[in-house]
Amino acid sequence: MVRWGLVIDLDKCTACQACVVACRVENNVPIGGEEEVRKERAIFWNQFFSEIHGEYPNVRLHMFPRPCMHCEDPPCVPVCPVDATYKDKDGRVLVRYDKCIGCRYCMVACPYGARYFNWFTPEYGEGHGNHLNPDVVRDGEGWIVGPSPRPRGVVEKCTLCVQRIERAKEEGTPLGSEHEGGVVSACAQTCPAFAISFGDLEDPSSDVYRLSKDKRAFRLLEDLGTRPQVYYLSEG
Amino acid sequence: MESNTTGVSSALRPLAETTWRFRILVVLLFAVIGWALYAYSVQLSVGLGSTGMNAPAYWGVYIVNFVYLIGLSAGGVIVASLAYVFNLKEYKPIARIAELLAIMCLIMAMIFVTLDVGRPERLVNIVLFGNPWSPLVWDFIVIMIYLAICLVYGYLGTRSDIVAAMKAIPKRARLYRMLALWYTDVSPEARKKDERTLRIIAMAALPMAIALHSVTAWILGLMKAQPGWHTALLAPLFVASAIISGLALVVVATVASRRFLHVQIPDALISRLGRFLVWLIPIDFYFAFAEIITIQYGREPAQFSTLQDVVLGPLAWSFWTEMIVGLLIPFLLIVRAKDRTPRRVGLAALLIFVGVFFKRIDIVIPSLIFRWLPFPPGGYTPTWVELSLMAGVYAFGVLFFVTFAKLFPLVPLEREHEPEAAEEAPHAEALLAEG
Ligand code: SF4
Ligand code: SF4
Repeated sequence: MVRWGLVIDLDKCTACQACVVACRVENNVPIGGEEEVRKERAIFWNQFFSEIHGEYPNVRLHMFPRPCMHCEDPPCVPVCPVDATYKDKDGRVLVRYDKCIGCRYCMVACPYGARYFNWFTPEYGEGHGNHLNPDVVRDGEGWIVGPSPRPRGVVEKCTLCVQRIERAKEEGTPLGSEHEGGVVSACAQTCPAFAISFGDLEDPSSDVYRLSKDKRAFRLLEDLGTRPQVYYLSEG
Repeated sequence: MESNTTGVSSALRPLAETTWRFRILVVLLFAVIGWALYAYSVQLSVGLGSTGMNAPAYWGVYIVNFVYLIGLSAGGVIVASLAYVFNLKEYKPIARIAELLAIMCLIMAMIFVTLDVGRPERLVNIVLFGNPWSPLVWDFIVIMIYLAICLVYGYLGTRSDIVAAMKAIPKRARLYRMLALWYTDVSPEARKKDERTLRIIAMAALPMAIALHSVTAWILGLMKAQPGWHTALLAPLFVASAIISGLALVVVATVASRRFLHVQIPDALISRLGRFLVWLIPIDFYFAFAEIITIQYGREPAQFSTLQDVVLGPLAWSFWTEMIVGLLIPFLLIVRAKDRTPRRVGLAALLIFVGVFFKRIDIVIPSLIFRWLPFPPGGYTPTWVELSLMAGVYAFGVLFFVTFAKLFPLVPLEREHEPEAAEEAPHAEALLAEG
C-alpha cells in the first residue's frame, strides 16, 4: 500500500512562497483578482501563513505553507452527499470536479481551510492563461480529478499533483524525493531551499518516512484526530 | 351525512369571493417573486460570487433560512400531531393551519437549499450517488418522508371539507374533485376510516418532526471543525426552538387569518396557545444558559472564542435581539393570563417567530467564521441577490398559504355528526403504549 505525503522543514523554509506559485501553474489554479482576494474568495491550493506569536519585544514570526493535509481520517470525506470527494487507494483525498454539486459541506468540515470554492467561472491572467496544464486525470469510474480547469460552482483543492504521480506510475519513473530525479509534487520540486519532501509514508526507505519520525516532526491541529499526511519539522 | 348547511356555507363564502385587497396582495407577491427570479438569473450567470458568501462564510442566509424553515415546519407539526394523538379537541381547529404551514415551510426550505448549491443541475446526484454517511443525505431522506407524511395528513384531514366545498361551489367542482384525488366518499364510515388513519399518521409525524429537526441540527453539530456547533446540546436546542418558533408561526397565521380572511377561531383557543408559548420561552432560555455557562466556565479556547463572537462580536446584535426582543419581551407581554388577548398573543408570537430567525443567524454565521489556522479575520454581509431571493421565497410562501386559504376552509367545518372521537380515545392510548 502506498500513502503519499509531504514533510515540510520549517528550518529550511525561507518563506519565498515559490511553492505557492508553482502549485498555481501546475494545477491551473484560477486568479481571483484583487477585489475577490479582499473578499476572501482567492484560491490557494497551497496557502502561505504568517503568524506573530507573543508581544513586543518578545515576538516570534512563524511562517508556513499549508497544502491539503490529505488526512488519514479526513472529516471532509464522509460529509459529501454525493461521494464527490473521497480518499483514494494511494491515500490522497481527491475531488471529482464533474460530480460535485457545490454544497460546500466539505469546506465547512475541513478544519484546515484547505478547500476552495469556484465562486466565479475560473479566470487566468494572460500569461498564465496561455500556458495552462493540458493534463486530465480521471479516477477508475471516469470522473475528472486532475488539473483541467474546474467549472464554476465546485470545490477544489490540493491533489498532491495527482497528474504527475499517475504519469510516473504509467511510465515507470521513480517517485519520491529520495530518488535522484524522482518525480515529486510541484511544490517539492520548486522549493529552492529543499524544504519540502514528497514520497510514500509507508515506505521505510523514503525520505518522508524517515523525516516524519524525526523528533522535530509535528502535524497541524493534531488534537483534532484527523491524522494529517503532511508533517512539519519545527523551527529550532 | 348531514352537514350543518348554514354554518358550512357561511364558512365557505370567503372561498368564493375575492376582495380587491386580496387581488392587490397577490399582484404584489407576484412582483416580488418576479424580481427574485431576475436575481436568480444573475446568480446563475455570474455564479455564487454574486452573493456575499466567501471563505470562511461558506454558507450564508440561504442556509440560515433553510435551518429556520425546517424548524418552523417541524414545530407546527409537533403541535398539530400532539392535538391528534392526545385527542385534544380544542386544538383541532388549528391543526390544519399548522399542517399547511408545515408543508409550506418545507417547500421553502428545499428552495433555499437549491439556491445555495453551486451546481443546482447536479442535485440529482444526491439520488443517484447518495453517500449514506453524509448528514445532508440523512436530511434529504427525512425531509422526503416527512413531506409525504404531511401531504397525506393534510389530504386526509381536509378531504371531507374539500368535498363539502365541491358541493357548495359548483363552478370549481372539477378542481375540488381533483384536490380530493377523486375520492369523494364522505359517508360516516369513510370519514371514520380517515380519522383512524389520521391518528396513526399523527403518531408517526411526531417522531419524524423531531427527527427532522435533529438531523438538521446534526448537519451542523457533527462538525468537529466548527467548535461553535460541536456540542451534543445542539439537537435538543434546535428541537426546543423549533417547537417554540413553529407554534409562534401557527399563532401568527391564525391571528392573521382571523383578521384578514375572517376565519372563525375562538379567542379562548388563542389565549391557550399563548399559555403554551409562555411555558416554552423559559426552556429556550434554559438551553442558552446551559450552553453559555459550560463554555464560559471551561474556557476551552476554540469554543470560547466562538462564544465571544456570538455575544460580543460583530454579529452580537443578532444574539441580543433574539434574547430580548424574541424571548424576554414576548414573555413579559403574555405572562399574565389576563393579558392573553388575541392581539397581544399575536404580537408576542410575531416577536418570537422573528426572534428565532436571529437565533439561526447567530448559530450559523459566527461559528463558521471561526478558523483554526491564522487566516485573516472573516466576515459576511449578504448582497442584494441573496436578499432579493430571500424576499422572493417568502413571497412564494405567503402566496402558497393564501392560495390554499382560498381553496378550502382553514378551519375544519363544524358538523352535526362529528365521528365520535371520544370512543376512539382508548384505542389511541393503546397504540401509544405499544409504540
Ligand atoms: S486538510 Fe481538509 S481537505 Fe484536506 S483531507 Fe484534511 S479535512 Fe480534507
Ligand atoms: S462541495 Fe462538492 S465535494 Fe464538497 S461536499 Fe459538496 S458535493 Fe461534496
